[in-house]
Amino acid sequence: MQAQRWGDRLSALLRRGPLLAVLVLYTLYTTLPFLWVGAMSLRTTAEISADHYGLPSPAHWGKFRAAWVDSNFAGYFWNSTVVVVSAVAIVTILGAMAAHALARYKFPGNRLLYFILFSSIIFPPQIVLLSLFQILVNYNLYNTRAGLILVYVSLQLPLTVFILEAFFARIPQDLFEAARIDGYTDFQIFLRIVVPVGMPAIVTTVILNFVHLWNEYLFAVVLVSDEDLRTLPVGIQRFMGDYFQDIGMIATGVMIAVIPVIVVYTFFSEKLIQGMTAGAVK
Amino acid sequence: MSAPAEAARIALSAAPRRWWPASRQGGRDPGAPSWLTLMVFLAPALVLYAGLTAYPVIRTFADSLYDLENMDAPRFIGLAHFVQIWSDETFLRAIRNTLVWSFIAPFLDVATGLLLALCLYAGVPFARFLRIAWFTPVLLSYVVVSILWLWIYNYDWGALNLALRAVGLDGWTRAWLGESNTALAALMVTHAWKWAGFNMVVCLAALHALPSEVLEAAELDHCGWAAKLRHIIIPLMRPTLLNLYILAFIGKMKVFDLVWIMTQGGPMWSTETVSTYVYKRAFAWNTFDLGYPSAIAVVWFIIVLAAAALLHLAFRQREKLEY
Repeated sequence: MQAQRWGDRLSALLRRGPLLAVLVLYTLYTTLPFLWVGAMSLRTTAEISADHYGLPSPAHWGKFRAAWVDSNFAGYFWNSTVVVVSAVAIVTILGAMAAHALARYKFPGNRLLYFILFSSIIFPPQIVLLSLFQILVNYNLYNTRAGLILVYVSLQLPLTVFILEAFFARIPQDLFEAARIDGYTDFQIFLRIVVPVGMPAIVTTVILNFVHLWNEYLFAVVLVSDEDLRTLPVGIQRFMGDYFQDIGMIATGVMIAVIPVIVVYTFFSEKLIQGMTAGAVK
Repeated sequence: MSAPAEAARIALSAAPRRWWPASRQGGRDPGAPSWLTLMVFLAPALVLYAGLTAYPVIRTFADSLYDLENMDAPRFIGLAHFVQIWSDETFLRAIRNTLVWSFIAPFLDVATGLLLALCLYAGVPFARFLRIAWFTPVLLSYVVVSILWLWIYNYDWGALNLALRAVGLDGWTRAWLGESNTALAALMVTHAWKWAGFNMVVCLAALHALPSEVLEAAELDHCGWAAKLRHIIIPLMRPTLLNLYILAFIGKMKVFDLVWIMTQGGPMWSTETVSTYVYKRAFAWNTFDLGYPSAIAVVWFIIVLAAAALLHLAFRQREKLEY
């Protein structure tokens, strides 16, 4: 009896062998690079040179302090936080208002505006990059946080409006008519009905914009050159350029950028997956 | 837990507290707002869009007609930059690389995503955990991904060469990013590593949305896995797969960070993409002329829009023929 059950299990396992092999191999393929860098982040470059795949014993936790304080990763982290939080807040408010107007009101040119915004999602960045550089220089916004924030808002606006418009348009008209009969003004309708009902979509766009902008590199490297204003991706890349041989310290810097993402991801994994794939999943 | 339902309930329950005579409304059509209302909602976004997207696009078009070596004294040169582009070997190389990458690599991304999704769909243990683990690279910045893979491809101690040596394929080891015939493929693999999880999640959602009767009917007919995949699952998922292909295509036409950090377009222009070439001409080589890279950006802008429109049309055409 017992043997038979084990036999069944074994044969089931063998039949699914290739499947399990794919699962195990792909999981190693996605996770091993992290573990490798994680281990290197706790080892000195001398230790790494001796054996690139050794375990971190003893673990040099002090390296994180060194990167954070001496290599100015604290500054990069702060710059990223200020720029990304401000840009996400602004793009959420502007995007939600515009999406509401496009989803709810009939007016001439509504669909034209929507189409123009929508099509700019596929613009290659170079078409605005070079002139944004000149424009920011002209208006003294080059090398400022404010300039980068404004550009980030404009980069994420089309996608934000696109996702929110689709959701807002599905809010039942009855809700608006009831509110209007109750004497809500247009602005009260927006604040008290559209925003609370549309909150899941708003959260989705906040996550999407946050991840995109936290990782953004091209505009950050072109529009900011001041070392004290660098965001995290540019900071790490420049650090790698300056200390190419210091693999141990680079690994520590990489982990500083990765850890917050992983921590947030472990707590809100479903929400993040949903946010990142918004627009692609129907 | 359902936030929309809760919010709707709150919104509705709050309604009776503010009661004004219906006459205050003046019978206004809810669909036709006042001009002022509309402007308050739309103006901030539109002003920003006009100033930081529409105007820059127009300005890039205008810049492409000027020599901007001295930014304070632009010199009009007409279409000279565009003529120059046609004989710019590097640019043609960059276009070719980017198009190869954009058209071919999405197959790798979407196929990997579909395969992984099918594995999870087949009901394996820890499916929830695996889905989350496989998605992780999507959240990482290109800078981090590039650094990881620079090390994986390292000739002396990189994981790839190490694995090859371990299984006795010493002859296959090479400097993957240092040789012009493998560098672009190496970048494609890295890019697929980052995005496979994205395609997997979308494919899995589409798989779960498939009508279960059809799949059960196939099961009854003793339809094997391969046949089921070919004749039922893929045709039913066509819209999703095409959508993913277009998304991947557009993403690859924009790619910059990965190439810039891993190879800077080298060796010998073998991974040069349009983005990296524009960046080099504008900011990295000390040519100080923003006019010529603007002309490249304009040409590329037109190619990207045309390719996206073409793909859209081609796929829609096939949809129509299908039914």
